[in-house]
Amino acid sequence: MSDNSVDILDIKNIEVMYDNVILALHDVSLKVPKGKVVALLGANGAGKSTTLKAVSTMLASERGKVTKGSIDYDGNLIEKQNPSQMVGLGMVQVLEGRRCFGHLTVEENIISGAYSRKLSKGDIDQELEKIYGYFLRLKERRKSQAAFTSGGEQQMIAVARAMMAKPKMLLLDEPTMGLAPQLVAEIFNIVKELNQKEGVSILLAEQNTNIALKNSDYGYIIETGKVMLEGTAESLLNNDKVKELYLGISKKGRKNFRDVLKEESLNKKIN
Amino acid sequence: MANELLFFMEVLVGGLLAGTMYSLVALGFVLIFKASATFNFSQGAMVFFSVLAFCGFMQDFNIPFVFAFILAALLMVVVGLCTERLVLRPLMNASEDTVLMATIGLGYVLEGLAQAAWGVEVRRLDLGIGDFPVPWIADNLKLFISALDITAGLVAAIMIIGLFLLFKYTKIGLGLRAVADDAGAASSIGIPLKHIMLLVWSAAGVVALVAGMMWGARAGVQFALVDLALKALPVLIIGGFSSIPGAIIGGLIIGAVEKILEVYIGPFFGGAIEGWAPYVLAIFFLLYRPEGLFGEKIIRRV
Repeated sequence: MSDNSVDILDIKNIEVMYDNVILALHDVSLKVPKGKVVALLGANGAGKSTTLKAVSTMLASERGKVTKGSIDYDGNLIEKQNPSQMVGLGMVQVLEGRRCFGHLTVEENIISGAYSRKLSKGDIDQELEKIYGYFLRLKERRKSQAAFTSGGEQQMIAVARAMMAKPKMLLLDEPTMGLAPQLVAEIFNIVKELNQKEGVSILLAEQNTNIALKNSDYGYIIETGKVMLEGTAESLLNNDKVKELYLGISKKGRKNFRDVLKEESLNKKIN
Repeated sequence: MANELLFFMEVLVGGLLAGTMYSLVALGFVLIFKASATFNFSQGAMVFFSVLAFCGFMQDFNIPFVFAFILAALLMVVVGLCTERLVLRPLMNASEDTVLMATIGLGYVLEGLAQAAWGVEVRRLDLGIGDFPVPWIADNLKLFISALDITAGLVAAIMIIGLFLLFKYTKIGLGLRAVADDAGAASSIGIPLKHIMLLVWSAAGVVALVAGMMWGARAGVQFALVDLALKALPVLIIGGFSSIPGAIIGGLIIGAVEKILEVYIGPFFGGAIEGWAPYVLAIFFLLYRPEGLFGEKIIRRV
């Protein structure tokens, strides 16, 4: 409780239920230090999105609820806020699957991100130019309807749109899903740049463990709603179990941490 | 021959203009459908409620026309406010079908409130525009077209242009279009859904008022206005539930087709096919183009 000032986000032992019956997170604790990139890794259904939505308070619209634990963001206890209040506090989530406004132009999409800010037309143009500085591709396509842009461009629109809200913290949910490797690298370069130049803290949910860790400072691995392993990005990249289970450098038929734990407890009993 | 063509033109233009009255009603549905993906069953009741209040202000309190209109419009904003606060917000995370059912209930409440406040008798509404042919057009173009129809056409055109400008060039318009595309994504970037809902329901209320004034002037301000909602259904099916131009074109098509069918084919059925011809047309659309002419996605069945 004492040195909270360095962590912009501090999640303590949260449990999340959907519809009052489905337990999606058992026990997740994680911290995001100010100005850092933290990766949240895990397979489909592990609870990455749920964790992000618990933080951005988007859970309520899916009838989910944080039933235990606490979330502390930038000195605020997150409880009854709604997403637009969270945006006001400087926390913006980029939802999984890009979710652009298909009928709006690229530029309208990006401008819509500034909705919560009281900006004049001139200010908006200025911000827009700054954002285009990071997303050069989008500037060329500013007048196209978002629905007709490529997957990579749509992901850029979603991030650019979120940046227009001038966030202190970005929650990125699988920004590289379904993108070609070249685009994945391009997206991560932009994310890194935003982190370094704009000082945005980032919590990044990814399945693409390798590239996510290479672009992060710290990482957490979750499985079935529990944090299984955490550490600096470097230590995770060099961890044998992570290599085996998430980086595809496999030895035996083990598929996840639960198998590893089972094996270890078996070994303990034998010894 | 020339006379027959002239007669056809007269039927067509009369039908198109009458169609704009349908468009006005349909417009209210489209606004709400865009923002909440719900068919608003209370739209007919809103038409009745708003125009009855307008008549009440004018006739019972002797408030001049313009002020009565402003008061009635403000009243519809209050209705929008209450609807957002008391009905929509508690149902924020409920399914669209739940909201749909809630609008049916809201309709009954509005009908009851209107009659409790202003009585049940049919009121005559005189806008100072007659429902008879304009002499100038009759003399010069040899077409007999009702002044009320022309007014309705103009009013519809003004409302469309106004709404178009509102949606295209204002911040809240951008917010509305964003919500219409993806409400979840819109709220993730801080667009407050409740403001958008308030805007949409208020706008739909004012549109209902205007539609009610046009229809009230033609047929009297009475409970039957509630059933206008039914007339808007084929318009929406043809135009598409989520498209404002669709509501306009759909209304024009229905207006023109029903008049032409009535005049030329009606006699073979013993007349009065106006009442059901639009629904037959709507069924064809449902079979072959269920998203309507301008619909953005497959419509929800209601």
